[in-house]
Amino acid sequence: MILRPRKEDHLVIGKYTGKVVTGVGLLMIVPLLVSAFFGEWDTVVDFVIGISACLVFGFGTQLLCRTERDLNWSHGLVVASGSWGVATILGALPHFLSGHEGSYLDAMFDVMSGYTTTGLYLLQDLDHISMGLNMWRHLLTYAGGQGIVVIALTFLFKGTAGAYKVYVGEGKDERLLPNVVQTAQAIWLVSLTWLIVGTLALFVTGWSLGQEPVRAFFHAMWVFMGAWSTGGFAPQSYNTFWFHSLTFETISIVIMIAGSFNFALHWALWTGKRKEVIRNVETISFAVTLSVTTLIATFALAKAGVYPDAMTLFRKVFYQLASGHTTTGFSTIYARAFVTQWGPIGLIATTIAMAIGASACSTGGGIKGIRIGVMTKAFFQDVRRILSPESAVVRAKYHHIRDVMLDDGIVRTSMTITIAYITLYGLTAVVGALYGYDFLQAAFEGVSAVSNTGLSCGVTSPAMPSLMKVLYIVGMWLGRLEFMSVFALVGYGVAIIRGRR
Amino acid sequence: MNRRTLALLGLVVALTAALLGGGCMPQAGNPQKSPNEASSGTLVESPKKYDGTSVTFEGEAIGEVMVRGDMAWIHVNDDAYYLENVEEGAALGGYNSGMAIWLPAEEAAKITLVGDYKHEGDVVKIEGVFNAACAEHGGDLDIHATSLSIVSEGRSAVDPVKVVKLLWAIGLAFLAWVLWFTNRKWDDWGIGSTTSR
Repeated sequence: MILRPRKEDHLVIGKYTGKVVTGVGLLMIVPLLVSAFFGEWDTVVDFVIGISACLVFGFGTQLLCRTERDLNWSHGLVVASGSWGVATILGALPHFLSGHEGSYLDAMFDVMSGYTTTGLYLLQDLDHISMGLNMWRHLLTYAGGQGIVVIALTFLFKGTAGAYKVYVGEGKDERLLPNVVQTAQAIWLVSLTWLIVGTLALFVTGWSLGQEPVRAFFHAMWVFMGAWSTGGFAPQSYNTFWFHSLTFETISIVIMIAGSFNFALHWALWTGKRKEVIRNVETISFAVTLSVTTLIATFALAKAGVYPDAMTLFRKVFYQLASGHTTTGFSTIYARAFVTQWGPIGLIATTIAMAIGASACSTGGGIKGIRIGVMTKAFFQDVRRILSPESAVVRAKYHHIRDVMLDDGIVRTSMTITIAYITLYGLTAVVGALYGYDFLQAAFEGVSAVSNTGLSCGVTSPAMPSLMKVLYIVGMWLGRLEFMSVFALVGYGVAIIRGRR
Repeated sequence: MNRRTLALLGLVVALTAALLGGGCMPQAGNPQKSPNEASSGTLVESPKKYDGTSVTFEGEAIGEVMVRGDMAWIHVNDDAYYLENVEEGAALGGYNSGMAIWLPAEEAAKITLVGDYKHEGDVVKIEGVFNAACAEHGGDLDIHATSLSIVSEGRSAVDPVKVVKLLWAIGLAFLAWVLWFTNRKWDDWGIGSTTSR
C-alpha cells in the first residue's frame, strides 16, 4: 500500500531542495565575475538572470516550506534527485540566453551533461562562446563531480543529521569521517588540493606550448576541471586534441585517473595508507579491465594499420581508452574517427570500457569497478564451491579500505545495479537504432551518455531527435544518481497521485 | 489480461509511437557551407582517400597561434561560422568543424586576429599535405602546410547588452532580494507558525 505524502513531507523536501538550488545560484557568481573581468557584459546579464532565478526558487521554497523537521531516507533521495532536476532547468538559463543553443531542451541537455560529468554537448559554435559561459560549463562539471549536494552540505546544511541521506541520494555512500559535513569538507580538501596542483602543472605546460599566460591559465583550470571531474568538457571544439602535446596528454591522464578513484581511496592515501592503492578491489579491477580493453583496441587498430608506428598507436589507443574507462570523455581524435578509423572492434572495446566505468563514490560513472570486482569474486567463489566437497565452506573476501567478507546481500546489490545499467544501455542503443542510426554507433553513444562518459562517435548532435535528447538526459541523470534516488522521486510523484491518506 | 497489464502495454505502444514519430530535428538554419572542395567533414569521413595528398584549405583562424620553435600550430574552421559568428547574428548551423594545421611560424605570423567570443578571426587559405595519422605528431589527423595567405581580415564581433534581458535581470534580482529579506525577517515579524519537529 502506498501512502500519500503528508504536508510535512512536502515542506521538508521543498525546504532542502530550495537550499541546494540556492547553492547552484551562488555558484554562478564565479562565471559572472569572470565575464565581468573580461568585459562580457551581455553574458554578465545572463548570469544575473540565472542567479536571480535560482535565488527566487531557493528563497521562495524556503519561505513557503518553513519546517524544523529533519530529513528521513526517502526525503533525502527525493531532495537529491529533485534538486538535480530543478538545478538543471534553472542552470540552463545562461546557456540558453547565450544564443548558442538550438532550444531550451538543448540547454538543459548541456547542463545535465555538466552536472552528471558526462561531457556530451549540443551547444553550437563553441569556439566563439564567452569566457564566462566557458567558466560556467566547466564549473558545472567540477561541482557536479563533487556533487552539488556536497556543495550545499558544505555551506548550507550545517548541523543537519538528515544531511547524510541527501548525500547518499547523490550516489555517494562513503562516510570518510564520522560527520557527513566533515566528509563533504574532506572531499573538498582533496579536490581543491588537486585543483591547485593540477591547474599549475597544466598551466606551465600550456604556456610552454605557446599559449598566452592568461589563456593558458584558464585552459589549464578548465581542462583540470574536465579531467578531475571525469567530465570531458574542454574549452575548444577540438577537445584535448587542441594542444598537440604528449606532456599535456600525460598530465591529463594522471588527473582523470585520479578523479575516477573512490574518494575513500583518496582519503586513505591522504591519511598515509599508501598500500591501499595496490590492494583495493577497485584499482585492481580498473587495471585489469583497462589493460584488456586497450589490448583489444590496439590489436584491432594494429591489424588495420591505422597508425604509422607502435608508439603512436599506443599513445592514441591508451588515451581514448583511459578517457573512456574513467568516464572522462576527453579525446585526441575527431568524434567521427571512432567510426572512420577505429572501426567496429575499436568501437566495441571503447564501449565496454565506458560501460564498466570508474570507481564508486568518485566523480565518475558507469557500472563501477567495485561491482565488477564483487561479481568476479562471487563467480570464482561459485566455481570453487562446485569443485569443493559438499561439506566444504567456501568463503571469499575483497579489500576496499578494509577486508570485507563477500555475502549474498553484497552480490545481489551489485547485480541489481549492474542489471539496471545494462538495461538502460540496451534501451538507449535500441532507441538509437530505431531512429535509423547504426546499432554499434547507437550503443556507443547510449553507453557514453548513461555511463556519464561523453565520448561521441557523431550520433549526438543538435539535429538529433528530441526524444533521444530527452532519453539521454534521463539516462545521464539515472546513471549519475545510480537509479535509486530518481526512482524515489518517481515514487513520490506516484504517491501524491495514487497514495492513500 | 488485467487492467494493469493493458495499461502497461498501452504505455509501451504509445512510447514506441512517440519515439518513432518524433523523427529527426530539422538541421539548423545557417546556410553557410564550407568553401573547400574537401571540407574538414569530408577529410574526417574519408581519411584514407586523402592521406598524403596535397590540399588547399580555407577557413577562419580560431583560438590562438601556438608557436613551437620555428613552427606553429593553428586551427582553421571551415564551418557555418567561418564568415560570421553567432555573436554577430549568424543563425545556428551545428557544431564547429575544422582542421589542425602545422606550418612555419613565419607563415603563421601573418595572422593578425584569431576568432573568439569578441572576434571573428582572419579567413586564411593554406596549402599543404593532409595526414590521416601523422607520424610526426602522435597520430594526429592534421595538415602540414607550406604556405598561408590571408583571404580576408578579421574584425571585432560586438555582442551588445539586450535591453529586454537587462529588464528581466533587474526584475528577478529585485524579487530575489524581496524573498531573501522576507525570509530573514519572517520569524521577527511572528507571521505563521513553524511546524514542530
